[in-house]
Amino acid sequence: MEFPALFWGIVGWMIVWAVAGSIITRRRYLSRDLDTSNANFIGAMAGASLGPIGIAAIWAKTPQTSGHLSVGLGLLTVLIVAVTFSFADPENICVTSGSFVASQFVNGLIIGIIYGFMALGLSLIFSILGVVSFAHGEFYMIGGMMVYFITAVWLPGINPLVGVLGACFVAFATGAIFERLMLTPMYHGKIDRPVEYGILATFGLAFTLQYFVQALAGANPVKAKRFVTFPRWSWPEWADPAWIKTRGGSLTLFDQVSISSPRLTAAATCILVLLSLLYLLNRTWTGKALRAVSQDREAAAIAGINPDRMNMLAFALGGMIAALAGALLVQAFSWLPQVGAIPAMRSFVIVVLGGLGSLPGAFVGGIMVGLVEAAGTGCVPDAQKAASYIPAYGMIVLTLTLLLRPTGMFGRRFASSTHGQH
Amino acid sequence: MRKRIPNIAGAILLLFLLAFPLIYGRPDYDYIMHIMITGFFYAILAASWSMLTGYAGQFSFGHMGFMAIGAYTTGLLCHYIYLSPEPTGICWERGFFDQYLIVVNPIGVTSTTLTQDCLRQAMEVWDGTVKVTKMPVLLGIILGTLMGALAGFLVGMLVLRLRAAYLALFTLGFSEILKAAISAEIEITRGQAGLELPPLYPEGVTLFGHYFGPTAKLPPYYTMLALLLLCLGILAWLARSKFGLFVRALREDQDAAAALGVNITRYKVLVFTITCSMAAAAGAVQGHYVQIITPNMLFLLQMSLVVAMAVIGGLENFVAAAIGAIFLQVMLELLRNSFVIGGIEVDMTIWRLVFFGILLMVTLRFFRNGLIAPLISHFRRSGIAEETIAKRKIDAGGAGS
Repeated sequence: MEFPALFWGIVGWMIVWAVAGSIITRRRYLSRDLDTSNANFIGAMAGASLGPIGIAAIWAKTPQTSGHLSVGLGLLTVLIVAVTFSFADPENICVTSGSFVASQFVNGLIIGIIYGFMALGLSLIFSILGVVSFAHGEFYMIGGMMVYFITAVWLPGINPLVGVLGACFVAFATGAIFERLMLTPMYHGKIDRPVEYGILATFGLAFTLQYFVQALAGANPVKAKRFVTFPRWSWPEWADPAWIKTRGGSLTLFDQVSISSPRLTAAATCILVLLSLLYLLNRTWTGKALRAVSQDREAAAIAGINPDRMNMLAFALGGMIAALAGALLVQAFSWLPQVGAIPAMRSFVIVVLGGLGSLPGAFVGGIMVGLVEAAGTGCVPDAQKAASYIPAYGMIVLTLTLLLRPTGMFGRRFASSTHGQH
Repeated sequence: MRKRIPNIAGAILLLFLLAFPLIYGRPDYDYIMHIMITGFFYAILAASWSMLTGYAGQFSFGHMGFMAIGAYTTGLLCHYIYLSPEPTGICWERGFFDQYLIVVNPIGVTSTTLTQDCLRQAMEVWDGTVKVTKMPVLLGIILGTLMGALAGFLVGMLVLRLRAAYLALFTLGFSEILKAAISAEIEITRGQAGLELPPLYPEGVTLFGHYFGPTAKLPPYYTMLALLLLCLGILAWLARSKFGLFVRALREDQDAAAALGVNITRYKVLVFTITCSMAAAAGAVQGHYVQIITPNMLFLLQMSLVVAMAVIGGLENFVAAAIGAIFLQVMLELLRNSFVIGGIEVDMTIWRLVFFGILLMVTLRFFRNGLIAPLISHFRRSGIAEETIAKRKIDAGGAGS
């Protein structure tokens, strides 16, 4: 299906004005000596949504921008793209079928929750250690592999909960040992460029883990059985409710939206663990100590917190979160030693979109990426091309975010120089 | 005397590499030569990456992307552009001096149907009466290099504000977008099926009265070695000039360098342009040598090989990075043989990579300058302490008298 020239014309028009708006607004803010951290983004969005009028308005009212305005302009841009799309391709299933849209939306939301949960681990590691862990995907892979080996090979027929807990434990221990052995010299000024060192060290870990698992487990895909089979609720014929139906592996809402059991259990567990993690971070001494270290290492050390121990805890927790996501998703996908690459890339996209080091940002970013991906796979007409381009959607978001607003949606500036902003 | 040991060792190594294809005569000649050529290819990538990352401090994960830009530029040009004295009438064509420049229409990978591209159709009609000229390989390689330089320039302009982790993620994203685009546009790039390239010397070459066919290993060996030496020469010249100093200042403290009058914009963009064009040149030559390119060369694994080679050789010394790359490539190939310990067969094709990763981590943790760079500097700097003491004594004596 070819798009009419009008669609590409409008998209081209938006891109041109977005680039112009971004550059003009940044110049304007620089010349007025104002904070330019938000200027690129708001200029680009004003240009994309309202064209020259938007840029002129931003130009005229230079110092008065707010978060609400940039969010509003961003939403308007998305809306314009969606409306143009529906006019350009009126027969598309995303425009004609409401139930398809609802189903895509729910599934995108669920997978987004899992992505966001995984990215949360990466964000936790970054906010405390200042390291972007390139081994995050390998922790995810280890989680799934452990569940498979525990529940299917070593102790067949055991409760999958044991497998999940075992996976978490292995990942936690691996993360803690790695941090102790490899990352400790970073904090004591023994290394010139700690950020690069951290990236290289985690990169080495990723490489080693991936091939280690491949050497042990082989390169054939494995798959675990689903953890939960929905009970069949049987009512008398006349009382059969229309809004929910369950069969062994899936659950259907309103006869339209079908959710598979692995995804639902994974998302529900993720939300539960997320809530307990929030409790840990906000209500317990350890969590407060973690947050204190992420804000200021030296001050936290003066207040009696051992920052090195907090680093170890953060890295191990981050790895464990990734492994938990893997352990929950092994029931939905087939598993290979290389399986970690795609979720790792997605986590990078999400943490950059949400703001490196921001925990709520990671979660919101995850849901957004899940929804965008569902829209991208469901609505782009040429299915084969769409499948090939899926990894690129996220990466385009990532590069654009880094260019327009490197701090992301909820980003903050870090006080210490270890986070690579100084 | 001790100070000259690295130079002498380097000269011996160079002589050995130059003479190697002439003196080696075992039956696995082609295989060993292939390993060496690939080793040189990785050496160029590792050396230019260590210039970008070790010298200039621009931590880039997109080096393989620039390599692929070089390879795909020459591949696509050689695949789609021809010169013909007669117009075909069905292709897109333009007068070009007294001939016609023909751009073949892409037909993709649907080889099951009998459709041919427009030039093949026209040639069938001509039935051999018209001689069509292919794109020269050398021109393709040069254009690929220029394309890599252009891409490096643009990326360098875009990442001016990004540092450390942000830069690493941006370049990773660039490489991934490129990979997805190449995999998806199967009509043009043939996607995972791979794009076929003409060999490096399509007609073969005659050296000293000895004819080497298009698939002989000796000419590409010397070509790749010459490219490696050229790149190392350029890098050494740059590192010793003002450029090297400014770029190292950029690495240590960007703001301080800017305050001292270093034009950081210019040098950041320049270092990206130069190193990326080297990666593109290496990619173009390697593409013509192996004759097929696929988007799989953009996998993160390939990048991690280059990173590991540069780190193990010595991140802040590009000669050490290049030597490390050749050495590791040879080691990795030699370790392929599986063996049996106590009745358990160890499949070395996988385990060698595990050892490689462990070696990378150990090097990072305990040998921060790599394994080869400290050797060089050990000999280079030997005797410096005594010299300094002697000099101070002379100075003190001079001041006293």
